[in-house]
Amino acid sequence: MKICIYFQVHQPMRLSRYSVFGRPLGYFDDELNSQIMHKVAQKCYLPANNLILELLEKHPNFCLSFSLTGVFLEQCKKFAPEVLESFAALAASKKVEFLSETYYHSLAFLFQEKDEFIEQVKLHQQAISQLAPPSKVFRNTEAMFSNDVAYLAERLGYSGIMAEGLDHILGWRSPNYLYTVKGCQKIKALLRHYRLSDDIGYRFSARWWSEYPLTAEKYARWLSELSGECVNIFMDYETFGEHHWQDSGIFEFLRHLPAEVEKRQNLEFATPSQLVDTLAPKDDIDVPYLTSWADIERDTSAWLGNQMQQNAFALLQSLEKPVKESQDPELLHIWRLLGNSDHFYYMCTKSLSDQDVHNYFSPYDSPFEAYINYMNVLLDFQQRLKKS
Amino acid sequence: MKIAMLGWEFPPFVSGGLGTHCFELTYRLAKFGVQIDFFLPVGAKQEGMPPSLRLIEVAKTIIFPYLSFSKSKSKPPSYGENLIAAVEEYSRDCVRVVLEEAKKSRYDLLHSHDWMTASAALQIRKILNIPWVHTFHSTEFDRTSWPWEYIVGIERMAACEADRIIAVSKRTKEQVLRLGAAESKIRVIYNGVNFERFASSSIPSHSTQIKKEKQIVLFFGRLTEQKGPVQFLHAAKKVLEKKPNTLFLVAGKGELLPLLINISMQLGISHNVRFLGFVPEEEQRMIYKLADVYVMPSTSEPFGITALEAMSSGTPVIISKTSGVSEIIKAAIRVDFWDINAMAEKIIAVLSYTPLSKTMSQLGMKEASLHTWDKTAKETLELYKEVSKVF
Repeated sequence: MKICIYFQVHQPMRLSRYSVFGRPLGYFDDELNSQIMHKVAQKCYLPANNLILELLEKHPNFCLSFSLTGVFLEQCKKFAPEVLESFAALAASKKVEFLSETYYHSLAFLFQEKDEFIEQVKLHQQAISQLAPPSKVFRNTEAMFSNDVAYLAERLGYSGIMAEGLDHILGWRSPNYLYTVKGCQKIKALLRHYRLSDDIGYRFSARWWSEYPLTAEKYARWLSELSGECVNIFMDYETFGEHHWQDSGIFEFLRHLPAEVEKRQNLEFATPSQLVDTLAPKDDIDVPYLTSWADIERDTSAWLGNQMQQNAFALLQSLEKPVKESQDPELLHIWRLLGNSDHFYYMCTKSLSDQDVHNYFSPYDSPFEAYINYMNVLLDFQQRLKKS
Repeated sequence: MKIAMLGWEFPPFVSGGLGTHCFELTYRLAKFGVQIDFFLPVGAKQEGMPPSLRLIEVAKTIIFPYLSFSKSKSKPPSYGENLIAAVEEYSRDCVRVVLEEAKKSRYDLLHSHDWMTASAALQIRKILNIPWVHTFHSTEFDRTSWPWEYIVGIERMAACEADRIIAVSKRTKEQVLRLGAAESKIRVIYNGVNFERFASSSIPSHSTQIKKEKQIVLFFGRLTEQKGPVQFLHAAKKVLEKKPNTLFLVAGKGELLPLLINISMQLGISHNVRFLGFVPEEEQRMIYKLADVYVMPSTSEPFGITALEAMSSGTPVIISKTSGVSEIIKAAIRVDFWDINAMAEKIIAVLSYTPLSKTMSQLGMKEASLHTWDKTAKETLELYKEVSKVF
């Protein structure tokens, strides 16, 4: 059983408070973004990277994968270069794979024309190549996946793609194999084992959970009892130290995991590319509609579920043509940053339980304010575009 | 279970949340099979009431303590002394009438509302030796910037003496704690809303034209400092800078009316502001529907039933963070009452962005429908049972 660990690393470029009565200097709140970057760097990125570096040295067979969004890399350069250096050190170990995704952590795949999506994937390839060789595995924003996403990824030259291992996609089948995708030639889908991933990502510090506390020994035992060829444990990197604080024991869990895995002969670590290279697909999956790893619905409703989100997204999309016609690289960059999926996530008004998760991440008091501020910015941007 | 309940107002004589609460609560408790004798100063119509609810008129009094008197020394004439005299006289009458009724059949529990009935409740409890539940719909600190020691004294007594206290929000609970109540006896039981009543209303035909011509922003509450009408007018001025075709309705009456009229003139917005005075029950429902947005800018709002009423009507609401209702609703925009810019900004946004107002309207209705008076009554009944057991 190959254990494939993947961490998503992203920090959105949060907006300034844009009032109709007064304009701040820029659309993006550098002060807030820098503050959050420093906070998360101290709590998560730096200690977790250091620990992983230590583990990579200590355990020769330990390997794992990340994906870092372009927006994250940009903010690292600007606010916390030491974080970038720390990721570079991981890359230098050659045992860490950096996956491909859209530079702007965007919903660009949902645009009617796919050119922008392709451009953003290429921009990300360029950005990440300064850190590590390009990966042949693609991971769309928030694991958004469908037959069409896989088809396009394949056309872009990828041989693997990540997706949520949803029961309604798999039916009786197990997520612990690779699958080909309907309508595609060869691209292999790596399906997230959501239960085992969420055991760490969500439930680790949940005292109501019957398995609390989760130890590395227990977790490795669960892994060794699985049947299949691979298990994909995918989650946000901020799980370590940010979603679960240091005192929850999350770092200790990570520290002991490689040793516990080594103790069990049927377990070994593998990167996504190694899975794609070594495992043959078992079957075909058919995903005609977009799925994702977000909320209970695991679809696109976290970003485009209500009228406000759809309205804001439609306006954003309508500006693509004028932005590109302006041939102004600064305007293009701003427009793309405004396409960051997080801005739409903050506007989500779904069920109360998920609402709490949305609120946790949101810099706004309510989804309504998220929409108001976004629209104030976007309409201002539209005016600026008209003048240029 | 038979309850003696002491109140002050009841529809159609309502100056605030207390009257609505008493009506909805007693009506539902009676439907759950609780026998209620509701003692109040002015007789109210009995028609349509469940048979287990009796409304008993104690004595005619003309004073509406939250509405018609001013305690400001600078603004004579003051009804202050008359009020004390009236409350004390009412207390004596109330004790007498309740005790007479108690001779006919025994009460299991006594429930009083706000300070006006607390002194009577204390005496009745002592004589009948039954558990006493007291509800704080507000405290003196919510109602005025010049708390009256006489009233605070009564509230302190009720906070300390009552066997159980119902606070209409966590915010009110905090106030009651400051009055000296032990935390263990306070329960937060939120108000509700009669959803169908407001959801089913419609805009009157004579108002459809104005609705087409103008966008309407509504203030609805007593015109006192605590409700924030001054902030509302200042926000209106700001909104009009960006959206001149907006009409601001100020519904309700109170001591600040002359001042507010002056302010609207000074700000040069009097053409866009209408003072509606007291709005009768039936028109309240229409007025919520008429509004494009309801603003509750209270500096101190123990609960704020009107926010739930507006939401039930499908009207987006902007409420101050210093309100009890903001503890339980999500489908609202919350502002700091002192932040005029933010208030204006949010009003403009609701008036400008249709997807926003539609989403708020839909979610607001859905959310308001969950806060039923049935829920309030059930929780109150649970408290009755709990206190009866231990007493």
